[in-house]
Amino acid sequence: MRYAVRALGWATKILWILILVFSVTSVYSAMNVKIRFGEPHVFLSKEFAVISIPLFINNTGFYDLSELNITADVMDCNESLLSTSIAFVPLIPRGSSVETTHNVSISLDYITSMAQTYLFNDTIFNVNMSVKLNFAHAIPFQVSTNMTVPWGAPLYNFSIGQISYNYLNLTHQELIIPISFENHSPYFGVEGTMQVETYNDDDELLGFSESDLNVPSHSSYDGQVKMTVDLSKITGSGEVRFYFETSVFSIGPVVMPYG
Amino acid sequence: MVEKGQIKTFAKKFVPRIFKAALLGVITYIPFYFLSTFMKPIQSFFPWYNPLTSTLFVTVFIIFLVVGAFTSGTIYQYMFGVARALVTMIFFIYVLNGGIIALAVTFEGATANILIDLRVILAMLVLVCLLGIGKNVIQAIDFVSAKAETEELQLV
Repeated sequence: MRYAVRALGWATKILWILILVFSVTSVYSAMNVKIRFGEPHVFLSKEFAVISIPLFINNTGFYDLSELNITADVMDCNESLLSTSIAFVPLIPRGSSVETTHNVSISLDYITSMAQTYLFNDTIFNVNMSVKLNFAHAIPFQVSTNMTVPWGAPLYNFSIGQISYNYLNLTHQELIIPISFENHSPYFGVEGTMQVETYNDDDELLGFSESDLNVPSHSSYDGQVKMTVDLSKITGSGEVRFYFETSVFSIGPVVMPYG
Repeated sequence: MVEKGQIKTFAKKFVPRIFKAALLGVITYIPFYFLSTFMKPIQSFFPWYNPLTSTLFVTVFIIFLVVGAFTSGTIYQYMFGVARALVTMIFFIYVLNGGIIALAVTFEGATANILIDLRVILAMLVLVCLLGIGKNVIQAIDFVSAKAETEELQLV
């Protein structure tokens, strides 16, 4: 009986020591795990635009990290799912670092169909992100967060003002179109060219012009487009077609009526 | 003379027990005091943790510890030992929220939900408590059988 009591006493003591040592070293190890995201890169495949985010994990703790699973769901303001992305790392042994990428793919069809909406209107994207891992093969750990990412339209409030004419000669006049918009995008400036074509009511081309654009983030553009038009073709109303060619996007025609 | 002798015997028997019980009570209370001081600033992260409930657990634990020390040399010592181990086990289950710790941390306007599954640690803690209960039960059986043997020998 006494031996059994003694054995139980020793077992209890050893277990207490194990629990204490494991708890202390776990906390220490968890504090020595560094997860860092790198600069995202965007590239295009046949069907998708892929945002590739480099991920660096440095595990200098005492225990292995296993089954690291990073999931990100991107939804638009109508809660429609745009993208689901998963990055999985089976094992990060102790004392080692792992470099991987987290790829967020968005369908090009979707981008094309929604381009006009996102170029001209501000909106928000909801991002549900979760990170799961198994610490020391014993403690499952999960962090999940719901973020709202505001989207600023690069051509917000794009509009044309009152069209005016400058007299040149008996057959031609100079057409002046005031144009204004605000670049609400925090991510990129609008740098490139804007081609403008003006049509009359009979869908005849009155004239065209091309101008350079250089509108940094969070700034507004207020300019004029001038073109020479044939006086005989002017009907007083019609439409203006815009074609944008920038480093980030190409879009056109964007049609705006006048008159 | 008789009274003086009785007082002496009483003092000899109980003063060390009182001293031991008081010392054990103080020693047990010190880590709890530091733990609760440490928990105060981060208590909002652990919504299920109620300091009053923890104080109640610790009070009951210390009472069992002190009474156990008082009753040492009797069968009650082991009964209180079992009760103490049970209280400790329930306390761990309560503090670790059944092994699943869910926290909500607000960082730069975004809320991060953290979920830690500590069921393995909890299982180890419960095992330690069960071992403690088992040890006390065996000690109680040993105590009773030893007492019965002594009584038999005295009868013979």
